[in-house]
Order: sequence, then C-alpha cells, then structure tokens
Amino acid sequence: MIWAGAFLLIIGCGCLGLYRAARIRKRPAELRECLTALALLDTEIYWGSTPLPEAFAILRERTDGVWSVFFAELSERLQKGEGANSAWNATIDHQLPHFCLKFGDWQVIKDVGKGLGRSDRQEQHKHIELVKQQISLVKEQATQSSEKQAHMWSYLGFLGGIAGVLFLI
Amino acid sequence: MSLHYTFHPINSNPEPKRQGKGTVSQTQDNLSHWLGEKLANILLQVQGITFKDIEEIRLRIDRPFLLLGNHKEVFIDEQGSAVPPEKGYRIRREDILQALERMTQSSLYAAEEEMKQGFITLPGGHRVGITGEAILKQGQVQTLKHISALNIRVAKAVEGKAEHILPKLLSRDGSLYHTLILSPPRAGKTTLLRDLIRKISDGSPALHTRGQTVGVVDERRELAGMWQGIPAYDLGYRTDILDGCPKRMGINMLIRSMSPQVIAVDELGHPEDVEAVLDALRTGVKILSTAHASNLEEALSRPTLRVLFEAGVFERVVVLSRRHGPGTVEEVIVLHQEQECHRGKVREG
Repeated sequence: MIWAGAFLLIIGCGCLGLYRAARIRKRPAELRECLTALALLDTEIYWGSTPLPEAFAILRERTDGVWSVFFAELSERLQKGEGANSAWNATIDHQLPHFCLKFGDWQVIKDVGKGLGRSDRQEQHKHIELVKQQISLVKEQATQSSEKQAHMWSYLGFLGGIAGVLFLI
Repeated sequence: MSLHYTFHPINSNPEPKRQGKGTVSQTQDNLSHWLGEKLANILLQVQGITFKDIEEIRLRIDRPFLLLGNHKEVFIDEQGSAVPPEKGYRIRREDILQALERMTQSSLYAAEEEMKQGFITLPGGHRVGITGEAILKQGQVQTLKHISALNIRVAKAVEGKAEHILPKLLSRDGSLYHTLILSPPRAGKTTLLRDLIRKISDGSPALHTRGQTVGVVDERRELAGMWQGIPAYDLGYRTDILDGCPKRMGINMLIRSMSPQVIAVDELGHPEDVEAVLDALRTGVKILSTAHASNLEEALSRPTLRVLFEAGVFERVVVLSRRHGPGTVEEVIVLHQEQECHRGKVREG
C-alpha cells in the first residue's frame, strides 16, 4: 500500500512537471503564431484595405488553436460595434487563461491595439511592424530559455515526487 | 477595398426599412449607434426637435452639439435639452474619434479613398462630411488628418414627390426626356431622383407608363444605400445599381452590360462625368441626373454643366428649393434643342 502511494505521488508530481514543461515549450510557438498573424493583418490592411472585422475573420481562418479562437472573438466584438482598442484589450483579458504566454508577453501584444484602425494604411503598417519587432525579440528570448526550463521542469516533477516520498517515509 | 458594413449595430436593425408609403423610419437608435457612447446617450434623450425632423447632426471640436432640421438649429446640452449655444455640450476630440471609429468599423484606412473626397457614406445613404487637415501629394488630397468636424446628413426618402413631376418629364410615347434636377444642397434632389428612378422603373398605371430598365451609377453610395449588395432604398423592379463606381466608368459599364433605357446618376459636375454623359447619348439611353445649382442661370455659369447645355443634352430641368421645406419644386423648365426656354410653374401637390 505504501509503495503504491509512493508510486502515485511520484507519477502525479512527474505529470505536473511534464505539464508545466509542455506549457513552457508552447510559449515560443504561440509567439511565432502571433507574428504570423500580425504579418497577415499587415497584408490585409496595407494591400487589401480590408476593414478590421473582416481582416480578423480572415485571421481566424488562417490561424490554429488558441489564436483562431482569439481572432474569432475579436471579429465578433468589432462586428457588434466595439472600438478596436477596447475590443483588443477585452479579448486579451478574456482569452488570456487559454494561452501559455507570460504577463510581459501580453504587455507587448497589447501595444497592437493602441491606435489600431485609427490612421491611414502607411501609419498602420509602421505601427504593426514596430510591434512585430518587439514580439520577435520576446520570442527569441523565449526560445532560448524555454528548452532549458522545460527540461528542468520535466525532471523537477519526478524528483520532487521522489523527494516527497523520501520525506514521508 | 472599400468598407463593407457587416455588422448589426447595437440596439438596432441594420438600417431603416420602409414603413408604408411616404417615409423611411428614422429612429434614434439607427443614428445614435454611429456615435460614441457619450453623444449617443445625448441623442437618445434629445428634446427641442422631433427626431424625424433632424436633417443634419453637426459635430465640431470644442463647439456645441448642433442639430439642424425643419428650418431650425438646436444646440443640445449634456441632458439632451435645447439650450443657447454657449451652454451646449462641447464636442471633444474623443467624441469625433469614437464616431469615426464606429462609422468606419475601426478601419479608418479602409475609408481612405472616400475621405479624399471629403466624405464617407454610411449604410442607408447617410453621408458624413469630414473636415480636417488635408495631406497633399503632388497637388492631390492624399488623406485628411487631425479631423476637426463631422456633418452627418441624414438620408430621408420621402416618396410621392415624383408623382406630379413625372408627367412633365415623359414624352408622348412614355419615354423619358433627358432631365436634370437642380437644387442647392439639402433641398432634396437626391430624394427626388430616387423617387423618379423608382417610378420610372416600376411604371405607373395612373400615367399609363410601362416600367423601364434603369441603370444607376451610385458613385457616392447615397442613392441606393447599398448594404451587402442589397439596396436600403427601393429603386424599383427594373433597376440595376452599380455601387461606388465613378460615373465616367460606370455609365459605360452599365450600357455595355445591362442595356438600360435610362441612366440615372447623382451630382454631375466633373468634366469626366460630362464626357461620359455625352458618350452615353450616342447609345440612345435617356439621362436622368442632378447637379448643384439654385437655378438655371447658376447652372449655366458652371463651365462643366454649360458644356452639356450647349450640346443641347437636357430637355427638361427641374428646379428645387427649400422654400416650403426640402423638395419644393420651383419650376420645371422645358428646354428645346435651340436653347429656348419655356418656363412653366408646377403646382405643389
């Protein structure tokens, strides 16, 4: 019975560690997806003059997973007549728990909403390019640190479980 | 790509539908959703002017909120009450930006082409005049920035005006004379044109006329108020609408593709429009158009219109004014090819 309990504790802590590691590995991927989406948004605005509700509906189709859900909500909010900046921020606040991004990442992503749709195409293009550069930097840092952290959490879960067992025995 | 309004405004239907004969319903909701929260709230509780009478909503930064209609100006305070100008609610920059954001679906860049002309058109045909700082490139207006004022001109369709004018514009065989409607701004020329188009298109048993195919080039998107390909206004059973297309191109496109009997366009004035009209005459279609001028003399003093008169294009000229409210028919002038003018007053029905 004791051995079964110990086994379960190690497996439980190990799974938690692996879950945490998976979330850390997802962060650069989500940032990469965000950059792709912003590049698409830039194209729709700059070359297509596509109105934002329509542009976000296109992004919803062209992205996967959490970002697709994010843009679906954003498009819906704009279609209901909400302003671009407030819709962008409200969608972030609502969708934030479904992402693996950190607080600092969202601070940069929130910059996209500032002035979105309120100027001509040239200005919009410059603005999106600037935010893309900032997100690229964040993504580079995330890529470098994520593998180390993910490895650490993979081991840490199991080791934590073993430590717990030793402590209890 | 121009703006495509794909949303249902908060608290309202997409746009007013015709309610019985005579009017298009104009509710506070329909207009207030184009404004920011603050102004929308004021507009919803406005007093001192009947809402259906509102013809213009004027927003100027740091100036009082102003409504115009029914021959009067009403300054509005924060509670929606009519007050002297100095006590009116002062429009803030944010109010203008919020209104523009709603009117352009948060996509000001998508309205760039329209803004170059100084206005944007909302679904339902409401036209919003815009002033601000013009950015020029090679002598042409590139865009407007630091937008300082908006003038929302509420589109109204008062039907029935065409009924007593149309007989004057039809020949014995029931075909339309080449007709030009003249009026100063806000005197109802677009409304009359819309009504005439519908009457000509549907035909009139009372006038013993059969319906004719009408091609409408709605360059400014006011005539039909197209929304997702569906006109907000009824322009008749036999009307084809080319939405948002410059007249010079649209007239030729319609003639080639839709074989209209009548071509209807709003606000002639550009030299290229004149060329297109002259070209269209050679194809046998009838022209129904409008232009800004208070009377025939004023129209003749405009170089572009003068070319058309000298070419003997128009056979009938309808002059409108606001003397008894928008759409007052002052006179219907019969023009002969030799430029003789026979004027006959038309009684107001």
